[in-house]
Amino acid sequence: MTAGGDEAGELLDGPFSALAAAVSSGRATARDVAEASLARAAKARDRYGAFLSIDAEAARRQAEAVDRRVAAGERLDLAGVPLAVKDNINVAGRTSTAGSKILAGFVAPDDATCVARLVAAGAVVVGKTNCDEFGMGSSNENSAYGPVRNPWDPSRVPGGSSGGSAAAVASRAVPLAIGTDTGGSVRQPAALCGLVGWKPTYGRVSRYGLIAFASSFDQAGAFARNVRDAARAFAVMAGVDPKDATSLATPVPDAESGLDAGAKGRRIGLLAEAESAEGGLHPAVAEAFARTADALRAAGAVVTRVSVPRVPFAVPVYYLTATAEASSNLARFDGARYGARDGEGSLAAMYRASRSAGFGPEVKRRILLGTFALSSGYHDAYYGRAQKVRALLARDFDAAFRKVDAILCPTSPEPAFLLGAKTADPLSMYLADVFTVPPSLAGLPAVSVPAGFSADGLPVGMQFVGPADAEPLLFTLSRVVEEAFGAGDRRPPGEVS
Amino acid sequence: MKIDPALVSRVASLAALELTDAERDALAGQLTRIVEHFEALRSIPEELLGAEQPAPPAPLRADVARNGSPGALVETNAPEFAHGHFVVPRAVMRDP
Repeated sequence: MTAGGDEAGELLDGPFSALAAAVSSGRATARDVAEASLARAAKARDRYGAFLSIDAEAARRQAEAVDRRVAAGERLDLAGVPLAVKDNINVAGRTSTAGSKILAGFVAPDDATCVARLVAAGAVVVGKTNCDEFGMGSSNENSAYGPVRNPWDPSRVPGGSSGGSAAAVASRAVPLAIGTDTGGSVRQPAALCGLVGWKPTYGRVSRYGLIAFASSFDQAGAFARNVRDAARAFAVMAGVDPKDATSLATPVPDAESGLDAGAKGRRIGLLAEAESAEGGLHPAVAEAFARTADALRAAGAVVTRVSVPRVPFAVPVYYLTATAEASSNLARFDGARYGARDGEGSLAAMYRASRSAGFGPEVKRRILLGTFALSSGYHDAYYGRAQKVRALLARDFDAAFRKVDAILCPTSPEPAFLLGAKTADPLSMYLADVFTVPPSLAGLPAVSVPAGFSADGLPVGMQFVGPADAEPLLFTLSRVVEEAFGAGDRRPPGEVS
Repeated sequence: MKIDPALVSRVASLAALELTDAERDALAGQLTRIVEHFEALRSIPEELLGAEQPAPPAPLRADVARNGSPGALVETNAPEFAHGHFVVPRAVMRDP
């Protein structure tokens, strides 16, 4: 006897490890769970704009294949776990628009490696999620297909650029979603939507099949509603890939077996520069920062202040180097081989017309900023200097990690802001990334974990940053915070069950 | 530094983007504000900055032929395709 629709829905509300166990044991079928998730995904699409495409037939076929594998005795870590995939990550045979008009209708020829790994472990791809165009944004208001709304308060942004993936998990349409994190695009929406979100050490998860924004930063990461699920997703997604020359060949650290080791004796550095962040900290964030430090002390951690002196320069360094890389990566979108074509006359006119009609305002702004930073006469003063400061920031982190095991800081300086609050001022939007871009610049792993709520019921997230390969410690510390704050107990008013 | 509309036009030309006059003027103001903010990087003493770090060497794949074609999607994803080739406007013109 297997679970029916109602029970499948209950499984969607719990940790996905329990869902996978139920499917593995035959108590539930992947097909029933997929049906329940598809129904919720349609609601999340209609209410929040979370999904750009939902392929029910493909999801059913994939779920039935999982049920056959389970029946054949195969052991699957993610048996029947519904998965949402950001629309700048390829899933074979499904559209990948990256939130851009220029890729409308583009069908991916094969799976991104991280998708292939999740599907091999039994995950079922329910749909592709909305995102800021090419991953460029911190609010999910830059999608060509409309904004995403935050399930905790639909008048507010979910964060970006992986806002659709965050809204899909927060609304309980799926228990697992993946996104890309170039300068915080998984961690910041995780914080604003009350989720756990991580980016790995650069190279730990393959970039094959990700539509490139800034290649020396881009990484795939995941959203889940609890730390254990988030660590399971890391364990499945991580690993060397011959299709990605920047993929790490060293053994993947074990992120699961030590999850409950606690914080006793761990040296935690509170980021000193967080106290003087440009624009200040929202009172709810400042309070959560202090409460999280107290919780870690209570768990036996040695909590001190630590300085990473060049953190205040991280936003300029990031926006000069990442946009420079974007200006090169996005040169491939010219209307010749794939994507939308516009214009008549010469080849050059077609290039200009296709790009001008196909890219949205923020993408154009970043291409122009990056082209400027690289152009003759300005390269040394802007791109070159930013690269030198990037190296200096990495040395700052090296020095800090001689004193502490991990650094704690807010993920975002404020909880979810109102739709439209920052769209007229691009610089104010960029400054929202002040705490997420530093580890991205240094290629370091980072995890955002829920740490309570503001007075008006909005989630607040805290970020742990560690040295390369510190993912296991970061998940263990996140568990301590999760235990302290009872994250996941409160449910968003906008869930779609 | 001030980024004036003429500089925006020059950079847009390098990036193969066409801008309306209104877009160009708005971008000049926005980019000026962004770049002036980013000039904070100049306050970092030169002696703290090392040389620009060279990129680490990327491992090279074996130089062997392999089938890199993803198949029929190349054609269906193309704006225009004929006889196994992408069709684009004429790139080289003969002088009249």
